[in-house]
Amino acid sequence: MQTAIAGAATSTRTSWRQGRDARDARLAAAVSLAKGKIVAASDATGLLEAVIRPGDRVCLEGDNQKQADLLSSALLAVDLAKVSGLHMVQSGVVLPEHLDLFERGVAKRLDYAYSGPQSARIATMLFGGKIELGAVHTYLELFARYFIDLTPNVALIAAVSADREGNLYTGPNTEDTPTVVEATAFKDGIVIAQVNEIIDRVPRVDIPGDRVHFVVQADKPFFVEPLFTRDPAAITESQILTAMLAIKGIYAPYGVKRLNHGIGFNTAAIELLLPTYGEKLGLKGKVASHFALNPHPALIPAIESGWVEQIHSFGSEVGMDEYIRARPDVYFTGPDGSLRSNRAFSQVAGLYACDMFIGSTLQIDLQGNSSTVTTSRIAGFGGAPNMGSDARGRRHPSEPWLQAGKEADPDGLAPLRRGRKLVVQIGETFGDKNAPLFVEQLDALALAEKLKLELAPVMIYGDDVTHIVTEEGIANLLLCRDASEREQAIRGVAGYTAVGRARDAAMVGRLRERGVIRRPEDLGIDPFDADRSMLAARSIKDLVHWSGGLYAPPSKFRNW
Amino acid sequence: MSAGQTAKASPDRTGSWYEASARTRVRLLLDPGSFEEFIGPEQREISPHLKVFGLPEQFDDGIVVGRGLLDGAPVFVAAQEGRFMGGAFGEVHGAKLTGLLRAARDLKSISVLLLLDTGGVRLQEANAGELAIAEIMRAVIEARTAGVKVVGLIGGRSGCYGGGGLIAGCCSALAVSEQGRIAVSGPEVIETNRGVEEFDSRDRALVWRTMGGKHRRLLGGAELFSDDTVQGFRDAALDLLGSVADFGLDTLKAEQARLEDRLQRFGACPDAIDIWTAEGIADAASVPALPADQFIALADQVRRTSRDAR
Repeated sequence: MQTAIAGAATSTRTSWRQGRDARDARLAAAVSLAKGKIVAASDATGLLEAVIRPGDRVCLEGDNQKQADLLSSALLAVDLAKVSGLHMVQSGVVLPEHLDLFERGVAKRLDYAYSGPQSARIATMLFGGKIELGAVHTYLELFARYFIDLTPNVALIAAVSADREGNLYTGPNTEDTPTVVEATAFKDGIVIAQVNEIIDRVPRVDIPGDRVHFVVQADKPFFVEPLFTRDPAAITESQILTAMLAIKGIYAPYGVKRLNHGIGFNTAAIELLLPTYGEKLGLKGKVASHFALNPHPALIPAIESGWVEQIHSFGSEVGMDEYIRARPDVYFTGPDGSLRSNRAFSQVAGLYACDMFIGSTLQIDLQGNSSTVTTSRIAGFGGAPNMGSDARGRRHPSEPWLQAGKEADPDGLAPLRRGRKLVVQIGETFGDKNAPLFVEQLDALALAEKLKLELAPVMIYGDDVTHIVTEEGIANLLLCRDASEREQAIRGVAGYTAVGRARDAAMVGRLRERGVIRRPEDLGIDPFDADRSMLAARSIKDLVHWSGGLYAPPSKFRNW
Repeated sequence: MSAGQTAKASPDRTGSWYEASARTRVRLLLDPGSFEEFIGPEQREISPHLKVFGLPEQFDDGIVVGRGLLDGAPVFVAAQEGRFMGGAFGEVHGAKLTGLLRAARDLKSISVLLLLDTGGVRLQEANAGELAIAEIMRAVIEARTAGVKVVGLIGGRSGCYGGGGLIAGCCSALAVSEQGRIAVSGPEVIETNRGVEEFDSRDRALVWRTMGGKHRRLLGGAELFSDDTVQGFRDAALDLLGSVADFGLDTLKAEQARLEDRLQRFGACPDAIDIWTAEGIADAASVPALPADQFIALADQVRRTSRDAR
């Protein structure tokens, strides 16, 4: 007690509210541009020049899907004498403008999580020194750092609508917004929202108005990319075979009810096989009932067939709004009826409350490390590393988790044994353009060397992977007892790739006898049964029919 | 597939035409066990050109030709495999079809079913492919002049584009499903040459309402619309073979009059929806979403394409 008083007395600090005073000064500088909280779109650049200081940390909301596109254009147009050298801290680097900021010198330093369409350019700019890279994160890591050492000074966010008090309705694509606003508004930062419309009363309050300082009405709705729609017409028979293997060889024996699916065609095939193949295996109600998942259109037949109890979503998906609104038993919806997504919560749900992640990747090495990086692209991590990792802090038991833990450590004392999350990598031995899925060395290593990164961008580390599924069979890495068994198990499902052809046939044979490798015939699956007629929907139009006309696919996916 | 299934049991024709391979379409379309292939894959008549480009060949060069029975009546059949080279015409592929049509011309009495599924001519053997298109068109007309009915069935993955669209235009009659598209220049070609303002190839709803089966049926380019099932196409083929008129100068004059009338009535319409509206369809914008049975009822109500033309 006494030391505390002494400490206060000797503080050299003149004020404990420097941050708040600075924020108030910035707000005062912008007051002439605003009517209440409302700023005209034509004044957006002026507003940013007034409230942003050189070197500020700025979150320009670029999510996986939703983009604050008006504010990114406005920021790109600032006077460099007023605003420059910014440190961008945002999950998605997706729009060309996001990188134009660095070309122009508006921004200098970058911490991010995902850069899908800009992945090639971002690599070029890093190599050319245009961008000073902090780190590439997973979503959860970046969100976590918003609260520790990367708190934004200014957040530029996107919402569907606002009222005059600044209450925001973020609509189905809420995504990152609550997290960004939480970190910014409660640490003396400034929050500026672009909205599609300003109305008297928002349908629901996703962001309370006292956390929002300015609202700019955009002349056109913010851009949303349909990222999670996989056209059933493009699913191949070998993808169907991998899906059958996964369902019969992993979903069924572990009884996986709580899970996350990746966005590739293999998992879309699984979704479309649940009501047909899964039904035939008698698995309904026993597997795949609770998801952390975006509203995948490919899951509609399984939902309509009564497989799915509930889904929590990171974001929404273009065209799914009316379907979601009509299925509140399945999705999380607000009092207005529309989806409430939340990336941070759904990522946590995927990490701690799901027993399985299953997704496809581009490259897998002999240790089971996987990467979606090629030598010229840095796509970032997004959420997969959190979905696809064992949560060391998990303490609640579940059947699949305990069973996986037992397979990994059969001799351990059960009450002291950690369970394991099932982390499944699924793909064909040869992927797009006949590129082999299995490699001796990940391209990510060459990239790290070229860009002098301390860490090679590995999407999922080998020690987290429990199963690899290809059309050649399933490798259960939990049952491998040393590195050489693990390597041969991987080679054993690598087919005719160079990695597969270099397998030790005798050892692979022994691993198969032990059930470490299981071929389609070991599971009673005839590869000739893998036919497209097994898919519950074979086209986008079939999905529309399954949805009772509620799913409205974007034009690029139509063939009618 | 066991031998017993093919020989006697009535085949399941409820499956998707669009999804089926060329061989499956032929097998299920015809009377069970009646198909006899000419120049089958065992003869390995492969393209002499693809190897030069390091491309894989197929032993049938992507087309199945032969004869069989349709409801007891003999027919010649040709089926393109849309999943091999986009069903495109090459030298061998084209020659097999030309030969089949010439056989029909010489025999005079056996109808021909063309199961078109093609993006046009193979770029790797373009000269041979273009010549093949010309030969096939001539052979279709010669066969029809000799009294042969040539019916096109269009509902495959690759649609019916390029030279395939020209051949379709020479047929006695066409049946098409929603998935089938009939045109000469494809969406990407139009966009490349005329700009995205003229035609946005990524606007798939636009592509389908401009080139798709429903529009072709409403415009009179195709005589019948079929649901996407083998049974639907079988019924359509039987219907058309039973109703196609004889071919002669009068047919050509009638066709010319039909096309002139079409141009006059719809020439100023900027979009298919305007054409459908001009045809008196109340809620034209709803047409793309209509299920097959409702669309067929609507199309029959709007206009029964004249079987005297073509």
